[in-house]
Amino acid sequence: MTQADLGARVGVTRQTIAAIESGKYAPTLETAMRIAEAFGKRVDEVFFWQVAP
Amino acid sequence: MPYRERAAWLALCAMGLPFTGYFVWVIAAPPTAAMPDWSTFTRFGVAIALQIAIWSLGTLWLRRRHPEDAAAPLDERDLAISRRSIQTGYSILFAVTCINIGCVFPFAQGGWKLINVGLASIVLAELVRNSAVIWLYRRGFHG
Repeated sequence: MTQADLGARVGVTRQTIAAIESGKYAPTLETAMRIAEAFGKRVDEVFFWQVAP
Repeated sequence: MPYRERAAWLALCAMGLPFTGYFVWVIAAPPTAAMPDWSTFTRFGVAIALQIAIWSLGTLWLRRRHPEDAAAPLDERDLAISRRSIQTGYSILFAVTCINIGCVFPFAQGGWKLINVGLASIVLAELVRNSAVIWLYRRGFHG
């Protein structure tokens, strides 16, 4: 699946998907859930929180 | 580069270039003639016409080069960046206007000075808004 395909499924642009992947943008909860659904995973399996050292 | 960021660069150039020329002239040779001063108005008209020309031609060129991106609706990131940049630009406009009207021009000055300061406030606010759009796309924005 390309970034453009995922973006089309989720309802955002390819650039937004790229920004999410590079950590430049945090998606809304709804978009995060849609992304997880597109991959057939749970949200916490796709997104994770790193505590700053 | 996202289409909206390209559009912001274009808007920055379209507003920045003509009005830089206009304000350099205003500062170097302030209008002194009584109002209405058609030569000053003409110069302002040239700046506006240049801005419209640059922005229109640039937008047409961008839409031809990136038709799918141009046609795509704003997504959540575009809307969030747009909201934040408008907030930033409006804050600048409000602050500068209050300072000018409340302190610099306490209801005792008018004419071309007041008009040009008002114009400068608007131009500055727009430049800040478009710069904010570019900054937020480039550096990242978490809403």
